Order: sequence, then structure tokens, then C-alpha cells
Amino acid sequence: MEQTTIKSLKAKRRALWRQRFMENWRVFLRNPLGRIGMSLLVMFGLMAICSYIPPMINPMYHPMTGVDPDVVSSVGPSWRHWLGTDFMGRDIFSQLLAGARVAFLVGVSAAFMSVVLGTAVGMTAGYMGRFTDTALMRLADMIMVLPTLLVVLMLAALFGKLSIWMIVLMIALFRWPGVSRIIRAQTLSLKQRPFIDAARVSGAGHLRIIFRHIMPNVLPLAFLYMTFRVTSAIVIEAGLAFLGFGDPGTVSWGMMLQWVWKTGHMFQAPYWLLPPGICISLITLSFYMLGRAMDEVLDPRLRDETQAG
Amino acid sequence: MNESRENKTILQMEGVSRFYRTRGNVFRGGGRLVVALSKINLSLRQGEIFGLVGESGSGKTTCGRLIVRLEEPDEGRITLGGEDITHLKGKRLREYRRQVQMVFQDPYQSLNPQVTIADSVAEPLITHKVGDPLDHLERVLRVLKTAGLSPPEDYVYRFPHQLSGGQRQRVAIARAIVLEPSLLVADEPTSMLDASYSAQIFEILQGVRDKLGATIMFITHSMASARYLCDRIGVIYRGHLVEQGPAEQVINAPKHPYTKALIDATPKFGRSELVPTYGTLLAAERPATSSAGCPFFRRCALAERLLCAGSYPPWRQVGPRQVALCHFAQEEVPPPPPAENAARGETGAP
Repeated sequence: MEQTTIKSLKAKRRALWRQRFMENWRVFLRNPLGRIGMSLLVMFGLMAICSYIPPMINPMYHPMTGVDPDVVSSVGPSWRHWLGTDFMGRDIFSQLLAGARVAFLVGVSAAFMSVVLGTAVGMTAGYMGRFTDTALMRLADMIMVLPTLLVVLMLAALFGKLSIWMIVLMIALFRWPGVSRIIRAQTLSLKQRPFIDAARVSGAGHLRIIFRHIMPNVLPLAFLYMTFRVTSAIVIEAGLAFLGFGDPGTVSWGMMLQWVWKTGHMFQAPYWLLPPGICISLITLSFYMLGRAMDEVLDPRLRDETQAG
Repeated sequence: MNESRENKTILQMEGVSRFYRTRGNVFRGGGRLVVALSKINLSLRQGEIFGLVGESGSGKTTCGRLIVRLEEPDEGRITLGGEDITHLKGKRLREYRRQVQMVFQDPYQSLNPQVTIADSVAEPLITHKVGDPLDHLERVLRVLKTAGLSPPEDYVYRFPHQLSGGQRQRVAIARAIVLEPSLLVADEPTSMLDASYSAQIFEILQGVRDKLGATIMFITHSMASARYLCDRIGVIYRGHLVEQGPAEQVINAPKHPYTKALIDATPKFGRSELVPTYGTLLAAERPATSSAGCPFFRRCALAERLLCAGSYPPWRQVGPRQVALCHFAQEEVPPPPPAENAARGETGAP
């Protein structure tokens, strides 16, 4: 084999993966939900990135510590404060931007952790079967029936204020069972497929079968469930913060809502109440829409239909 | 068999049985034993293509799975080149799998949809750490060409769903022969394919035997394809091997009533209706009185109640290197007295 053919084959290989990605991307973009969700997420992403800018312009725009010396109570929107200020003169717009950052951080990291945990547990249970399967799935059932918000509230009350990372960890630890059930079911059906037997005849051991043959087939599903988990993580964090159990060192949208409520501005300051509320709804909605669009990309039935012909 | 003069025996199965236990619980009175294979004695000679023929559920696939050790036999012994492989584990099982490979029935299911053709075919090379990883691609290209995919460069970087059924089955064959195994089990490799592809697959298998000197066990339900491809044929019925011998003899002069029935069931070209030559198959199954008798008793038109229902038939030499498991195998007419043949369980070769 000459060097040139090997080289051209390598190019072919790259082209294959690129083609595969572009194919999926096209299916994704064909879906209106996917387009809306994606553009909303890009907007929130920009907000999160821009949250670093206001404190650089003027320290009084710092979302936590920056207080406008000329303002003593909450005032409405102006050129100086685009969305007004809160009860002690902090800028609401910069708080809103900082909230986007926290929402992404909490949502993505909690979802990532719970999906990693859920996938690991689900694949282990599905592949090992027997006692391991029963033990892990009963554990999952037990955790699944616990109301996450309530348990985290109780823990927060027990241990005092939780840091944002503790909250992320809690959410991850309580939200994996749903993922693991689905991954287990998928693993069970994959395990019976002839290509696993074929891999065994080829000499593959358990680890190779799990990582090389089962994992690539469950990862898309895990990834899909991650987007739904992001939604629930953001909502749980917002709920905790609204109830006063958030991390006092961060500004999240839930926290902003709590301040509105606590200082009695609920019906006096719509410029303060509405933005975080709308943002929470929109970001969960956009992750949900992203998930639905990905569902269409990954749905094997849809896929087979388009590719069989 | 005792005539292994020219060729040495490569694989031997001695009294191999495999049972499945049905799922059950207290309420469904479960745990019934189903016999998939019953005391199979078989030997494959180096470089031959052995056809294992039988209807669905006769245990032919189980037989293949036992040979590649996807399952373990419950009784009996399997040896490859003299080494007992019946209960191999771990490292030695892996060594064994270097020599014995399998082509599966359904090419749509036997390739991982998320793995490229190149990676699928190279997998045995990777798991057995054969050669330099840099040379794997070259080897994959060569073996794909042997399996009839040319030019192979067009196929290596594709996913299985971008290939047709016939092409996928060639990829599966390529994967099975990339290690140059000494024994290849082909489990109905053409049953999911169009007839026009089947002939090509047969040619590839013949090429594999001729070029690599591999022994092939070809599992099929079709007498026609067994005749086309095989040197020797074994006929299996409900887990019992009932006849075996050279392909031409078994086809042209079948001695066991089940083999005759299988040949009757093969459609003849140019005839619109099936005309049974032998007529050994009963239209309606008759009830069996005991489990000790001939396995084919319930569907056999030639069976005599006294003899066949009560005693397990012996192996009879019915031609040069051809044996059949039937009380009436050699003679055309009268049955021998029942008392002499009551040796139940004598399933070995004569």
C-alpha cells in the first residue's frame, strides 16, 4: 500500500465524521423548536459572558457589592440603570447577567454530574444483571421517590447555608435515577443484539464491550437526557434560592426573586420582578426545546426511515 | 468417524448436549428442561466444508454457538486439534478464539451501527494484539478484498447502514477471516440475503477454504445450498444428529426418513407442485408414547410402533462413510427383530 492511498483514506475518515455531524446538524436545524431553543441559548450564553463587563466599566455595577451612592431605594429603569436598581441601589441588569452565568453553571454541571452517574450506574446494572442489577435499581427507586427540593431544603436547614457547589452536588445526587433507568433499559436491549456476540467472538473482553460497543450506543441518549436534567436543575436551584436557601455569595435569578419578595416590592417594581422570572422560564424552555430537537436527531426509528431508502 | 485417513480431524464433539431451562416460577410451574442438543458426535476434518442441515429450532445454531464457545455445553466434550476446549476460560479462551471465528445469520444485526467498517474488521486484530496497529488498515483492506468488496478503499470508512445486506455480510466474513482462523462457523450466512447474493457468498466461502485452508462449518436449512457448497453433510433433527456422510451420497441416496423428507421439501425446478419422491413425512404428527424412542418417531411414515416408539435407534453404516440413525436404515424392507436393537443411548458412531 503506497503512502498516498493511506493519506487519502485518512481524509476519507475525517470526511465521514464531518458528514455525519453535518447530517445531524441539518436534521436539528430543520426542526423549528431546535432553531428557537438554540438561538435563545446563544442569547443566554452571551448574557453569561457579558456579565463580566459591567463591573469593569464602573465598580458600582458589581451585582453583589456595587451600590449606587445616589440611590437609596429601588428606582425604575433609566439610562444609568437600564433595568433600575434594587432596594439598596444595586444594578438589576448586571444582576440579571450574573444570574445567567449561575444558571448555566448550576444547570450544566449538575446535569452533567447526574448524567455521568446515571449512565455509569445504568450501564453497570444492565450489563452485570442479576444481583447487582436488583441492588442498584432498588437504590435508584428509593432515591427517585424522594422529593428533591424538600430533601435539599431539609439539608440546607440542617447545615446552614449551602455553597453553590454543594447545591449542584445535591441536585446531581438526587437526579440520577431517572437517567440510570433509561440507560439500563437501553443496555439490556443492546446486550442481546448479535453484534455483542460478534464482538465476543472477535475476542473482546467485558471492558471493551462496555466501552467500545455499548457506550457509543447509549451516549446519544444520555446526552439527550442531559438537556432535560439541565432544566430541572435550574428550576430546583431557583426554587431553593427563592425560598432563602441559596448560596448567599452568588446572585442567581431565584435569589433576585427572593429579594423582590422579601423587601415587599412584589407588586411595586415590575422592572425588578419580571426579568428574572422571564429568564428562568425562557432558559428552561430553551433547554427543553433543544432536547426535543435532539430527540428527533437521535430517534432511531426516524433515522432508519430516512436512511433505509 | 473412523475414516480420517487422508485428512486429520480438527474439531471433535463427543456426546455434546445442551439444555435450556424455561423461565418459570411457582405459579407457572416453571423450570422445564428443553433439549437443544442431545449427545451430538461430530468431527470436522481439516480443510473440509461441513454442512449442518436442519429445520428451525433443530439446534443447529446452538451447535455453532457451542463451537465458538458463546455457550458452554452441559454434557460432553469438544476438542480442537486435540485440545479440550469445553470449559476454557479467560486467557486460554481468548487464545482459542483466535483460531475459531463465526459469521452470523443477520448482517443487519451483527455489525455495531456506531462503528465504522474499518474498526469492525480490525477489532479482532486489536483484541488479539496482532501486528503493528499502523499496519491494521492495510490488512483490513486486503481482507475486505478477499471477501469480495472492491475497491476496498470505498468501503472502509463507512457505517454499516450505508451498506446493503450483501455488502454487510461480506464485511462480517472479512472480520471473521482477518485472523486467518483454522475453523470458521458460518451460521446461515445467506438466509437474510437475496438469492443472487447467496451464490457470491458461497464463492467467497469456498475461496476462504481454498486460500486460507480453513475448515468451514456451514449451518443451513437448505439442502440445495448444502449440496452446492459442502463436502460432507450432517442432518440434525430436534437436537439429534440423524444422518451424516459425503454430500453427494446424502443428497442422492438419503437413508434416514428425515433426510428424505428434507429432500422432498426442496422445490424442484420446472415443477409447479411438490411431488414427494420418498414420502416419509407424516401429514399429521402422531402422539409419542415414550421419550425413549426414536426422535423422529412422531413424524415418520415408516415407523413401526413397537420398535421405533420404544427403543432409541442405533447408528448404522449405510454406505461408504455414510451413517444414519434409524432402525430401518440399511434394509429397504423388513425390520429386524426389536429385541436386538434395544440398546438405548448408543449414539456413538459404529
